[in-house]
Amino acid sequence: MNFFLKCHWRLILPFLVLPFWSVAQSPTDELLMPTKEICFLANYEYGRFNEYWEGTSLRTNATIATVKRNTAMLMAAYGITDKLNVYVGLPYVATHSTKPNGGKFAGALGIQDISFGLKYRFFQKETEKSELSAFASLNFSAPASNYLSDYQPYSLGLGAPQLAWRGIVNYKLQSGVYFRAVGGYLWKGYTKAEREYYYNNGSYFTPWMDVPNSWNYEVVLGKWFLNNSLRTEVKFGSQHSTSGDDIRLYNAPQPTNKVNASRVGAFAHYYFPKIKGFGVLGYWDQIINGRNAPKMTSIGVGVTYQFGLIH
Amino acid sequence: MKKIYSLIALCTLVFVFACNKDLPTELEFSSYEFNSNDPQGGNWKPILISAGSDLKIPVPTATNSPAYQAELAKTKSAIQGMTAGQRKTLVYWTNNPVVRWNEIALELIAKYNLIPGPNADGTYPVPNPADPQGPPAFPFAHPPYASRALAYLSVAHFDGLISAWHYKFLYNRAPAYQVDPSIPFAYHDQNIPAYPSDGAVVAAASRKILTAMFPLEAAYLERREKEHLESLLLSGEFVPSDLDAGVSIGEEIAALALKRASTDGMKNAQTNQVVGDSIANEAFKRFGWKWINQESPQRPVGLTPLFGKVKMWNVPNVEATRPPMPPKPGTPEFEADVKLLKEYAANSTAERRRITNFWQDGLGTYTPPGHWNDFAARFIVKYRLNTLRAARTFAYLNMAMMDGGISCWDAKYYYHYPRPIQLIPGFETIAGTPNFPAYTSGHSVFSAAGSEILAYIFPEEAKLVRGWAEEAAISRVYGGIHWSFDAIAGTQQGRNVAQYTLEKARVDGAGR
Repeated sequence: MNFFLKCHWRLILPFLVLPFWSVAQSPTDELLMPTKEICFLANYEYGRFNEYWEGTSLRTNATIATVKRNTAMLMAAYGITDKLNVYVGLPYVATHSTKPNGGKFAGALGIQDISFGLKYRFFQKETEKSELSAFASLNFSAPASNYLSDYQPYSLGLGAPQLAWRGIVNYKLQSGVYFRAVGGYLWKGYTKAEREYYYNNGSYFTPWMDVPNSWNYEVVLGKWFLNNSLRTEVKFGSQHSTSGDDIRLYNAPQPTNKVNASRVGAFAHYYFPKIKGFGVLGYWDQIINGRNAPKMTSIGVGVTYQFGLIH
Repeated sequence: MKKIYSLIALCTLVFVFACNKDLPTELEFSSYEFNSNDPQGGNWKPILISAGSDLKIPVPTATNSPAYQAELAKTKSAIQGMTAGQRKTLVYWTNNPVVRWNEIALELIAKYNLIPGPNADGTYPVPNPADPQGPPAFPFAHPPYASRALAYLSVAHFDGLISAWHYKFLYNRAPAYQVDPSIPFAYHDQNIPAYPSDGAVVAAASRKILTAMFPLEAAYLERREKEHLESLLLSGEFVPSDLDAGVSIGEEIAALALKRASTDGMKNAQTNQVVGDSIANEAFKRFGWKWINQESPQRPVGLTPLFGKVKMWNVPNVEATRPPMPPKPGTPEFEADVKLLKEYAANSTAERRRITNFWQDGLGTYTPPGHWNDFAARFIVKYRLNTLRAARTFAYLNMAMMDGGISCWDAKYYYHYPRPIQLIPGFETIAGTPNFPAYTSGHSVFSAAGSEILAYIFPEEAKLVRGWAEEAAISRVYGGIHWSFDAIAGTQQGRNVAQYTLEKARVDGAGR
């Protein structure tokens, strides 16, 4: 089985749904669905943090104790051509604090942002020993419910339209080892709070909050095993916001914050050789450093199913 | 393929440019024609002094004197050398800088409205005016602090401008642009005499009051005062002696206001734990209940237990405004409220959430008193009030709200009534529960008091603002942090307290 036919979800999924650093990734891997093939993913993610960076200083806060995020997501990828894929995804998020906590805040739950993505391979060069390919992707997302972004740290998302441009370069050896680098710019629009005044290094007399844009990078080292049935990766990623304010002392975060984060992660996707089209995946991510970001640990599991739409 | 790319490009452009707008950092208005000049304004009854003539300034030189002509030449040359930045500043300040200085106060309130967090050992530090740098920084500009800062600022503005009006129409010195028609005037010709400059009164008084209230902002406020005074000169209305006389009045009235502030009891409002506990235990003996902070780590003492003892502006006896006893926990009336709160928590609606958040005005914001100042500023501009009437509006508004806050705090620590999260097991809220007892709701009292003043001064808006006050009150119940009787009694309390201020307003000589 040609692994290019396999559906691939690495980094498509978890990162659309994290509200306060939102290392939003869209299709960022090197795989493409062939023409008229479609793939579905059902994914569940559990994330938690009990420390966060207030500005650059790491702290705990007994008001919120440990914050948990549960995310269920459905996604689909479709091959318009062998070089161009389209993606759509919709997550459902539930957040709450562990008990006891000092704040007694209710958590939040609901549908977060719907996202649409395109990925296009514009360069490919194969030799006997290796393959080099390059891609461009564009991902757009926007809130799909009226969740309140100004309810940190429980808000489901940033509550703003987002547009991500990315470039992806992938280098794969015959041995199945591959290296991937991703760089992207995320434009994030305005989110509407339910108050008409807020402080962001000065007064703002409007419910509209400017969510800072960011540059996002990622490097990935991966390898295929078991006759191309198992794909594994380790990676390092980071986000750098281009503007924004710091969380103020012992105060809640807000969508205007300058959110930076670095994280490490691991990922595996197994394609059942004997059950046509089915696969399972799992991943782990850890924020290791940041600014105005939660020190979040996330684990996720998912099921993928791929089939030809028209034969 | 081409179509797809075009579509992508189009979407990109739409989203980038559709939202690429400047967000307002101040009330958006430009210089306007005042709806009155109030030539009799100098005879109105001030708050801190007995008459506008109490504050003394020199008799101005005549406009045809060499001294005045020299000042005029200086003014003219400054205007001729005006930079683009200075022009922008002129537009910013407008001809109603009372609104702008009020905004500066709101900004500082929001900046300092941060509750101190716990130390590593679980104790809590207390902001200390003797060491404002902290941490924690002084002040913690919570709603009582905010209401007081705004009251002193506005009262100083009002008295200072009554005095300014007194001398303006006593001496009738023409504005610079009338003496020399070649001088351009940046704002509307109102035919109000120039000596002393009303803007300079406001600039100097604001700087002095706000520096006392926010000591870490001394340099910032000095810079804003300088910028404003320079702008007044460049407006074409004033010569330096007009400004100097205004500054003199502003500083003198600010000193009188700060003298009152230094002995109003605020410095004792935040007690230590021993006093806080004894107040709680007195309530427990009296009623069989007491509010207990639910935070982690627990805060040892509530917010300003003795704010209820601070000197009021217009209410002779705070206990006369104390509301009746709230329902005893366990009674059917109380249980009905528990049911109501649980129902709101279980069945959240978009509208209740919106109302909760719109009125929350919590930590890091300009507080409920700030919100009502924001409303007042918009009405002042809408109804084109002059600086004197703008200051009068803010003065009555903020005195009534501070008195409301004092009366509310008296009730809070007299009844010491528990919050919903203390009495309903497992209860969770969508608003933050504050560090003080529940009965009565501060938002309800501040808002009702504020709305009564605005309803009096802007009768066309009476129905609207009273509706707002009721919405602000119920917002706290929707948020899960107040009982409905906290809100209902608080609204009534705020209205009652405001009547004392309105009694003064009705006879101050200004008419409505």
